[in-house]
Amino acid sequence: MANVDLSKMKTSNQQPSKITRQRKIMQRLLLLLCCIAFSSLIFGQDQEQFTISGRITEAESGETLIGATILAPQTSQGTTTNEYGFYSISLPARDSVQVIFSYVGFQSAVRTFFLKEDLKLDIELGVGVELNEVVVKANSFKEQLNSTQMSVEKLNMQDVKLLPALLGEVDILKTLQLKPGIPSGAEGRTGLFVRGGAGDQNLIVLDEAVVYNPNHLFGFFSTFNADAVKDLQLFKGGFPSQYGGRLSSVIDVKLKDGNNKKFAGAGGIGLISSRLTLEGPIQKDKSSFIVSGRRTYVDVFTRQVNNANQDNEDFSEIPDYFFYDLNTKVNYQLGEKDRVFLSGYFGRDVFNFDSDFFSFDFNWGNATGTARWNHVFSPKLFSNATATFSDYQYNIRNEVTGFSFEVGSKIRDANFKYDFYYNASDRQTLRFGAQATYHQFEVGRLQAGSEDGEISFSAGQDFDGTEFGAYIQDEWIASDDLTINGGLRVSGFANDGKTYFGIEPRFASKYSINERLSTKLSYARMYQYVHLVSNSGIALPTDVWYPSTQNVKPQVSDQVALGFSYLLGDQFFINNEYYYKWLGNQIDFIDGALLFFNDNLEEEFAFGDGFAYGTELSIEKKEGRLQGWIGYTLALIRKGNFRGVKQDIMEGRYFAPRYDRRHDISVVATYDLSKRWKVSATWVYGSGDLAWLPSGRITFQDIYGSEFKPIVPVFGDRNTFRLPAYHRLDLGVVLKFFPKWGESDLTLSVYNAYDRRNPYFIFLEPEFQAIDAGNELIQVPDRIVAKQQSLFPILPSVTWNFKF
Amino acid sequence: MKNTPYIYIIGLLFLVSACNLTQEVEIELPEYEDQIMVESYLIPGQPFALLLTQSFSYFAPIPTDNEEYINQLFISDAEVTIRYDDQEIKLENEILFNPFTGKLFNYGAGVLVPENYDSEFELEIKTAEGEIITASTFIPEPIPIDSVVIQFDERDSLARALTYWTDMPNKTNYYRRLFAKGQSDSLEIDFILDDDLTDNGLLLAGTNYDFAVGDTIFNTIYHTTEDYFNFMNSLFNADAANGNPFAQPSSLLSNVEGTDNPLGIFSGLTFDDRRTIIEK
Repeated sequence: MANVDLSKMKTSNQQPSKITRQRKIMQRLLLLLCCIAFSSLIFGQDQEQFTISGRITEAESGETLIGATILAPQTSQGTTTNEYGFYSISLPARDSVQVIFSYVGFQSAVRTFFLKEDLKLDIELGVGVELNEVVVKANSFKEQLNSTQMSVEKLNMQDVKLLPALLGEVDILKTLQLKPGIPSGAEGRTGLFVRGGAGDQNLIVLDEAVVYNPNHLFGFFSTFNADAVKDLQLFKGGFPSQYGGRLSSVIDVKLKDGNNKKFAGAGGIGLISSRLTLEGPIQKDKSSFIVSGRRTYVDVFTRQVNNANQDNEDFSEIPDYFFYDLNTKVNYQLGEKDRVFLSGYFGRDVFNFDSDFFSFDFNWGNATGTARWNHVFSPKLFSNATATFSDYQYNIRNEVTGFSFEVGSKIRDANFKYDFYYNASDRQTLRFGAQATYHQFEVGRLQAGSEDGEISFSAGQDFDGTEFGAYIQDEWIASDDLTINGGLRVSGFANDGKTYFGIEPRFASKYSINERLSTKLSYARMYQYVHLVSNSGIALPTDVWYPSTQNVKPQVSDQVALGFSYLLGDQFFINNEYYYKWLGNQIDFIDGALLFFNDNLEEEFAFGDGFAYGTELSIEKKEGRLQGWIGYTLALIRKGNFRGVKQDIMEGRYFAPRYDRRHDISVVATYDLSKRWKVSATWVYGSGDLAWLPSGRITFQDIYGSEFKPIVPVFGDRNTFRLPAYHRLDLGVVLKFFPKWGESDLTLSVYNAYDRRNPYFIFLEPEFQAIDAGNELIQVPDRIVAKQQSLFPILPSVTWNFKF
Repeated sequence: MKNTPYIYIIGLLFLVSACNLTQEVEIELPEYEDQIMVESYLIPGQPFALLLTQSFSYFAPIPTDNEEYINQLFISDAEVTIRYDDQEIKLENEILFNPFTGKLFNYGAGVLVPENYDSEFELEIKTAEGEIITASTFIPEPIPIDSVVIQFDERDSLARALTYWTDMPNKTNYYRRLFAKGQSDSLEIDFILDDDLTDNGLLLAGTNYDFAVGDTIFNTIYHTTEDYFNFMNSLFNADAANGNPFAQPSSLLSNVEGTDNPLGIFSGLTFDDRRTIIEK
């Protein structure tokens, strides 16, 4: 030891010091976890306790209710139902124990009993009357106030359907964009860039199966049919340990189980699509089904136009385009303790063009399948075993007489996971589980050639990999004011002889300063082992998923967040959060990257890091005739230090991604004029997104046979031009009807009500003049002008919806 | 081909521009320092020539007078030297117009580029301001067009042209394909490719069924260097990104080096071309 060379230690401590620091953080978190576990032994129950458990369901349909509140007012103990509607609460043995079961929009149920043994109690909640709703909604704010979970956004599907929508297409991802900290990528698009994260850093799960591309029509509509969705949660930070695999957000979408009381249906006819959902019992109270579909029909009209112009030589045929979604689900209650679910999603976008000598077919879409088995081992221990299948692919097939060309990419997963929920005591709840996913990738598959085989070429890479993870999470009520949620996730990815491991500590805490004010703190590390190869900054169906390999390390992020929640009166909930996020092993493309027909795509990557920070403020009102929220986000993102095999990006300097939006404001309001009339409005304002515009120009003569190019743009640093600010007002009116067979409504939406010309992109247009160059005239630029392209003017739409 | 759906989307965007969705705006672009632009192609049998020009900030005023435009664009009084093997070629500052190619250069030598496919050619430019720009390249071996096959459609009215050539084995080759109709410089097809697009060594570039009997078509296949391929790829990307929200721009991947970050390409090229009159 006496001979240690201190200078060597100094020179080599750059990276190790970071790792050592991280190890120390993890050691401390592990120590904290041990303390939490140990504390449960020290603070062992000094009074005999019994457990009440069961499921809470909707009386009318039998749907399980997620996040319903169970409160024992005498002891101030409470819990909520998990994502399968199951709850378990341990209470001291005593006479006249009162428990209140409640859920937003439903009438509370109060049960009083003599608790002398474990009790199984399934509760059905009915739709509330106004008086009770006031209480229930206030309770939901209290639940938010007292929860350790911060940085989470939830959507109520009823509210989503009331809001105005582009072309009348209700879209849950676009509604999420109205929440603070979730800016959209571009006008009318469904992209989510959560707290500085890229578009591929969102884990989107539909009934626990990953959806790799949640978009239709190049991102203008999402794949989720609101009629079939029961619940949606988006986590921006403080990620629960059961989630992993993406850096920036988790969007957990749960489909309805299907009405197990009676046959029912819902649907709608809109400007561009129609949808229909049917559900009902297979065996009353025991099993049910739901089938939900949606299809656009613009192609029906364009075909008619094409037919009408068949003999018109000047007419250019309009290609066919349509998309559709199909959701199905069945579930069966096997007994008191077991329930199984089978659900699936299939959706496709189809773009097709045929002529005498040329055919072009481009289709893309997702397929997912989920099989789940809920089992109650005991009143305290609930489990869920899930097997899922996910597939996303795009295929382009092009035929010209005698030749064909096919290109495509695919990612396909088979996943198994087993999750446990354990009510350890009246102060401690454990969640633990494990999962493994087998991924198959086809990247840039290309097959082309002539029919006679004389010409042929192929390209593409195939990969497979196994992603795995195990986690434990302990929520500990340390005192009446302090709740701590500590967790640890261990993840990994194995591909082609290389295995990566990730240790992902998770921590969240809530401290109640008083009955109306609480403060929350969270930390989460996330690893991402699969990456979306996208060069456009806008999600396109041709973007491909690429695995971590020997050279492509997993992306990693660390996020800390501090938040304050305040209950203002009984009507308003104010939430303010501050976050800082470190991003490691970020992937971007070098300039001039060759994305197609490239068997070595990794050479086009550059790897860097980044950081993002900001604050989000929201005020929400959930009761009364006027409801809604106002959200504000102040944020900054930088990425840089990108080094590649071929070249670096901007010599390693830091730059802002396109979606670095400094200010973002959203105002959302709904107002009940009467039982029949409801109106709504949303107003959004955002600092302009960034654009990479040329700063200079060259004149390029080019070689013999080519065209003289008087202006070629010279692009300097990335994303240095900020587009003008974006703002838009949307208005909606819902007129309800109550016919004998059910309910229906006419929903009128006005998108961009004050007809604002928002920038979609800016382009630079030279105007030319001819000058004499020797013995010929050449075109040279005379003037260059900048033009702004907007996408949507004021767009009214009407949709007829019904349910029975 | 891969961009076809996006082309329709862009088409739709411009269709909606009929709703007055396109408007002229005043913008301020990032600051820009002018750079030197070099263009020099070493093509065996053609004279050594180089075009040395100035780049400008994007919105810099454009002279309307022909002479003023040329004077502003061209950089004069530089010392330009190309060396290979033990030869040193000085390129004089003079306007050279090649009536055959229609191309104009401001530095040249009355010496033809030799068919030295194993030599390394080095460029050195000393500007009047003292900046030194260097680059090096080689001349790829010529690859001939095997055949141009004319095929008529099922109605026997319009024809397409299929141009075949054979890739050079044991190394990666880069090509640029130019196709014109009527006049050799009325370009209709222009793209670059590498030999990843062949499994058996035979390469093909085709056209649509666009040609009638009597039409004259011009096929040219350039065999290029990797530097040229990368430069042209970045240039095409830069050009295409303007007005296309789906495209990613690119800085120019030049192979010239200097203290003030010059732009440009110095590359050897060989080519084969065919002129074909459409006949039945």
